[in-house]
Amino acid sequence: MKTYILTRVLLAIPMILIILTIVFVILRVLPGNPVLAMVGPKAPPQIVAAMEKEMGLDKPIIVQYGDYLLNIAHGNFGRSTLTSLPVIQELMQKFPATLELTIFAMIVAIFIGIFFGTYAAYYYGRTLDVVARVYSIFVYSFPVFWFGIMLQLIFGVWLHWLPVSGRSSPFMIPPHVYTGLYVIDSILNLDWPVFVDTIRHLILPSVTLGVVISSIFVRMVRSNVILSLSSQYVVASRARGVKEKKVLFSHALKNAMAPILTIMGLEFALLLAGAVLTETTFSWPGIGSYLISRIAYRDFPAIQGAIVFFAFFIAAVSILVDIINAWIDPRVRY
Amino acid sequence: MKKYSILIVVLLLLASAVSIFAIAAKNYVIVGTTDKFTSLDPAKAYEYLSDNLLQNVMTGLVKYIPGTTKIVPSLAKNWEISSDGITYTFHLKKGLKFSNGDPINAQVFKFSIDRAISLKQNPSFLLADVVKDVKVINDTTFEIRLQYPFAPFINILAFPIAYPVDPKVYSANSVYNGLPVASGPYMVTKFVRGQEMELRRNPNYYGEPAKTPIILIKIYRAANNLYMALLNGEIDVAYRTFLPQQFKMIQKNKNFKAYAGKSPFIREVVFNVKIKPFDNPKVREALSYAVNRAKISSEVFSSLVSPLYTLVPDGMWGHESVMPKYDPSKTVSILKSLGYSKDNPLKITLWYTPSHYGSTEASLALTLKNVFESTGLIKCNIKYAEWATYVDYFTKGVMGMFLLGWYPDYFDPDDYMWPFLESKASPAMGSFYSNKTVDKLLLDARIVSDIPGRTALYDAVQKIMANEAPYIPLFQGQQQVATKPNIGGILLGPVQIFRYYLLYKK
Repeated sequence: MKTYILTRVLLAIPMILIILTIVFVILRVLPGNPVLAMVGPKAPPQIVAAMEKEMGLDKPIIVQYGDYLLNIAHGNFGRSTLTSLPVIQELMQKFPATLELTIFAMIVAIFIGIFFGTYAAYYYGRTLDVVARVYSIFVYSFPVFWFGIMLQLIFGVWLHWLPVSGRSSPFMIPPHVYTGLYVIDSILNLDWPVFVDTIRHLILPSVTLGVVISSIFVRMVRSNVILSLSSQYVVASRARGVKEKKVLFSHALKNAMAPILTIMGLEFALLLAGAVLTETTFSWPGIGSYLISRIAYRDFPAIQGAIVFFAFFIAAVSILVDIINAWIDPRVRY
Repeated sequence: MKKYSILIVVLLLLASAVSIFAIAAKNYVIVGTTDKFTSLDPAKAYEYLSDNLLQNVMTGLVKYIPGTTKIVPSLAKNWEISSDGITYTFHLKKGLKFSNGDPINAQVFKFSIDRAISLKQNPSFLLADVVKDVKVINDTTFEIRLQYPFAPFINILAFPIAYPVDPKVYSANSVYNGLPVASGPYMVTKFVRGQEMELRRNPNYYGEPAKTPIILIKIYRAANNLYMALLNGEIDVAYRTFLPQQFKMIQKNKNFKAYAGKSPFIREVVFNVKIKPFDNPKVREALSYAVNRAKISSEVFSSLVSPLYTLVPDGMWGHESVMPKYDPSKTVSILKSLGYSKDNPLKITLWYTPSHYGSTEASLALTLKNVFESTGLIKCNIKYAEWATYVDYFTKGVMGMFLLGWYPDYFDPDDYMWPFLESKASPAMGSFYSNKTVDKLLLDARIVSDIPGRTALYDAVQKIMANEAPYIPLFQGQQQVATKPNIGGILLGPVQIFRYYLLYKK
């Protein structure tokens, strides 16, 4: 197991290196001078030159690249040109919002995926199965922001049931922040109004994101459960008179889980990409909104930092999923 | 499944029960906007929201009476102007304090003005171009000496660039990124960039306290988000910027109040007069005849903006509608005289930015392209760039013809003429226009202090501008605010300073 984990971690390094290089190259190919974006077009040339020197932009591109890799290796993402704050500090402030949204979206997607997929497999070829298949194609083709706007219109503007923007109502944040995840913090603070307010704000964005990515889960679960339903251990347990529900969920689904877990890991990447769009649709103050707003200011260190952060996060999640997978199903290790 | 259905029902019940907690308290008003802040340092702030915010949390020597263009003393008690118009002596009110308790005195003003000039940020020119030096006489008295007599100088002092900053907090050599130290009705108690800002009454403000103890400003990414939040009751006031159709819908919606007022905001097409074919005044003239402002107003802005035929906005003294009226036959005859034909059309590129003037910008560019091309002798290509790149491009002279807009720094025709047409100022506008006669007239208009005399000079400048057409003014905007019916204190004045400190819940 140790060797397996080590190999997975080592394999992630070239992947991250490639992403870092692409980000570095793209930001330097883009038109415009980040220093001018900072000091304004009327700044005297000596100030511009001094700033360029300070930011290391006067050095040869290969030296800049080396500095950049070295800094990131030390966890130094530079300072935002807009706020002068360390980018890593800003990212850590925004990250809990994105993480909370991603986790809840994942819960929604898994919930829909497992129930819909398993029952579709159970009723293979019948109405529920057809509905499940149509659902996944339909939902897969939704643009996230369109679906989000529809939910906002229905549950916000027409029914006034749920809020359509932000993470919390005014003055409704947990008094003490432990994790940055408002759901957990409000529970730790035993502050129920804040807890309910947080959940209400979470529902629409996480359902939007969760439903859109649930399509892949539904199809994956369905086809895997169909396979395991036709296997001999299912026939055997049915012959022994085990209840259908138990056959379905404890035997068929459990054995179908390994490939589904792998897909979940991959889906996390898609989920983060979706989070950028969902966050902007719901004015959700996470890394996605941060990235989009900083693009407008051409805040290079912030843009670079956010993308690199996403890359690290996805790499970490995929390693984690692989390890869980290997732990559940020892065959994966070989 | 039964267990899950029960869980869902319980969650939904909980969700609906929370409205008990969400009762809007009387002591705060939530304002939504799609505007962005760049900097809250008066030496750097130079776009609408940053400056507007500073006009609520800070104040200067003078201020506008809300709803008018009349200037009255604010931190200053009174002032004298020397007979040659060069020296302004200010006497401050006694006992003035910043929100943190630090004193506001003559030394503070000297520090602040010197700092604003030496930091050389975007708005620095407002002071740097006219101020020679500042001399402290005693704790409450100081002099500002100008390089030459400058009639609208007092108006500049009402703009954030001239506001005092606390020398114990703001460094003389760098832009300040922390929470502003307040001298106005509110102070900033929380600021999450791109997300929200919390303003609370400043206990040390010398004047009448703000009507509502707390203002929350929520920042939305696009007009759609703002519109939805308003309709869902999440904000009390929505100020800037809806799509024109959305504002029309709100005007018809009985659950909200919609306010509209004239704005000093103008939009124009800029020509870089150094780039071919726009270096030829005849080409610029031909294009200005082709612009159908009525069509732009009705098709792109649902008739919520008014056509403009000069740079000085309607409602300000000095305004003269001088630009050619829509007449495509003139465009055709001028272009034919220049040798253009159906087979050899005039080829131009029009630039716009999707990220600074709202979601209507692409339609505006497209409508202009259509009106140009409908003459049959013009082939118009459209290009766009993000705002930061756009600024880079026009100040470096990359773009030949592009769309731009202007908010006043001070309420005077000088602010609509000098930055556009004066030789040293026009490169910052991307036009690079230069005309010695215009320079002389503009300088004279700064020095002359009587309004009839200045009006005559601006009249002459506008006529030259109409002839040489380095700009095509397009339209004048509208201020639009939508509120819940229980909100009062909305005041849309001619200077377009939105006053948060007047807002209240009924």
